[in-house]
Amino acid sequence: MKTSKRWLLLAILLTFGLVAAACGSDSGEDAATTDAPADEPAMDDGAMADVEGEVNISGSSTVEPVSVRTAELFEEVAPGVVVNVDGPGTGDGFQLFCGGETDISGASRQIKDEEAALCAEAGIEYIELEVGIDGITVLTNPANESVNCVNFGDLYSLFSAEAEGFGAWSDAQGLADEVGGSLAMPDAPLDITAPGTESGTYDSFGELVLEDIAEERGQENLYRPDYVSAADDNVIIGNTQGSNSSLSFVGAAFGLNASDVKVLEVDGGDGCTPANADTIASGEYSISRSLYIYVNAAEAAENPALSAYVDFYMTDGLDVAVADVGYVALTEDAKAATLAAWSGR
Amino acid sequence: MAFTTLGDAGGVETEVRRRLAAGGIDVRGTVFRALLLLGLLLTLLIIVVLLLDVITDGSTVLTERLGDFLSGTLRSRSSDAKLGVHQGLRGSIWIGIFVTFLAFPIGIAAAIYLEEYATDTRLTRFIQLNIRNLAGVPSVVYGLLGLAIFVKLLGGTSSTGGLTGGRSLVSAGITLAVLVLPVVIITSAEAIRAVPDSLREGGYGVGATKWEVIRSHVLPYAAPGILTGTLLSLSRAIGEAAPLILVGAVTGRLGGDPGILDLGGLRDRFTAMPIVITDWVKKANGGSDDGGAGLDFASHAAAAIVVLMVLVLVLNSAAIVMRNRFEKKRG
Repeated sequence: MKTSKRWLLLAILLTFGLVAAACGSDSGEDAATTDAPADEPAMDDGAMADVEGEVNISGSSTVEPVSVRTAELFEEVAPGVVVNVDGPGTGDGFQLFCGGETDISGASRQIKDEEAALCAEAGIEYIELEVGIDGITVLTNPANESVNCVNFGDLYSLFSAEAEGFGAWSDAQGLADEVGGSLAMPDAPLDITAPGTESGTYDSFGELVLEDIAEERGQENLYRPDYVSAADDNVIIGNTQGSNSSLSFVGAAFGLNASDVKVLEVDGGDGCTPANADTIASGEYSISRSLYIYVNAAEAAENPALSAYVDFYMTDGLDVAVADVGYVALTEDAKAATLAAWSGR
Repeated sequence: MAFTTLGDAGGVETEVRRRLAAGGIDVRGTVFRALLLLGLLLTLLIIVVLLLDVITDGSTVLTERLGDFLSGTLRSRSSDAKLGVHQGLRGSIWIGIFVTFLAFPIGIAAAIYLEEYATDTRLTRFIQLNIRNLAGVPSVVYGLLGLAIFVKLLGGTSSTGGLTGGRSLVSAGITLAVLVLPVVIITSAEAIRAVPDSLREGGYGVGATKWEVIRSHVLPYAAPGILTGTLLSLSRAIGEAAPLILVGAVTGRLGGDPGILDLGGLRDRFTAMPIVITDWVKKANGGSDDGGAGLDFASHAAAAIVVLMVLVLVLNSAAIVMRNRFEKKRG
């Protein structure tokens, strides 16, 4: 009886210790082997192997895999550099970046004026580097047989603020005819799921597809407010699969790999073009946006780990990592421009 | 016993005789029992369906690459042979350790004080009311608290790292310890309140001091209840995702991968199982293959859910085993 309290405490701690140890012994030893040096040859710059330091990256969840893949390849030539990558979103990323918390911010659109002002206020100078291209695919259900190719007029008549209240595809016919649509709208429910305001894809689609027509027609708002918005691209794909007459748009990395959805051809003025890596890279497919990283200029000058990582990003990142994770690499000209922007800092 | 206290003994007797003689089926009783059973079966059904769904989705990962999965790290592609939950497990287990060492001692001590020492004044009643309210506060709010105090205030600048190291495992651990503290206090206080006064009086009767009575009579008697409550709140802390997002758990990549019980890196960036799961559910599966099993992120997320559930189940069974031990001792 007299040792009961100690007993209690000991028992609690012991249980936890055992659980932790059980898990630890299993994976602890293996952990060492996961970082085994890679057999790939080091880069021409042998000095990279000696660089030590930390690089913190945040920003767009779309760009996140590119930076992570680059870091994985970079680890093989510069094992001393710790690269942490997070992907809360382009806007959230700039908040952190302009607060001085991160060294690099990924972005699926260019920095906005108010974000640039925030950075300027904090005295943070940055270098904008284009790293890759991501198409935006427009999806419907394979059962929606009559819809195969859409032009910007069609998309405007379905997604824009003027489309508010349209519950069926055919409701949009009048508007589509007015703005130069080409589609014979089916008489079926219009179930739209698309990214919400927090997403860079939302901004890009609005800018690329809706903005011109909206401006022409004197509309202030781009999007109709009455669609299902989802922050999770896999949810958008799930909803597209779930309705026979669904409509949605997501980044090509999601859309081109999804099963049981129909990726629509898009007519950007030069005829119907299917979305695939080639047409997105060449610019034939008209709804695509550039992916960027923004590098803190002062940190890049001070932190050798950061400058080494971005150096690596400019070579293997652009050439290998971008395609590895399912995006489209820049054209040679665009690569040269990015490289010039970095080396001319 | 109750019969003797009733005034109208004759009426009761007739009623008893009538019921004993009536026979037949107790319809209302049977229906009630069936309803209760239905409730139980429905709950079980939901759990079984969820479990089966997750286990079938994750089975390929769990059978084909369990070792790699447990030792692997966050990677960019689902087909990567090094993809796994090691960093997430480390984060979750350390959060558990922080909760065990911070929330349990403080919470149990607070409960003992409130139940055994504190006099029933307006102030103590106010404090108790507050603790009850805090237990109902959404976890995101604790995340904001963690962000403001442990990450920003005690985190110093990004170069020095301050006390907690900013967006670190330490900050996350303390935040979740604070999150479960009210629940620990309430459940421990309930357990202590359930100790019969006769037990305390017996102790005082043989000349024990207040502390001796608490140590040798109250706590052993209350131990099973305290244990159940505290370990359930530990499971809750391990399953929380929302506060960790605010404190800054990493989703894409963590540079370091120390061993699970390694003390180094506690002040570095971290991730945890619930964060890993929510992130993998959202990720695109595209990209080139890299010698992995060609599995997608969704099946890895399912496998990670199974791993997290096993961790929580182990903790809960430990709680049950220990409670039974203490109950036997008490009996």
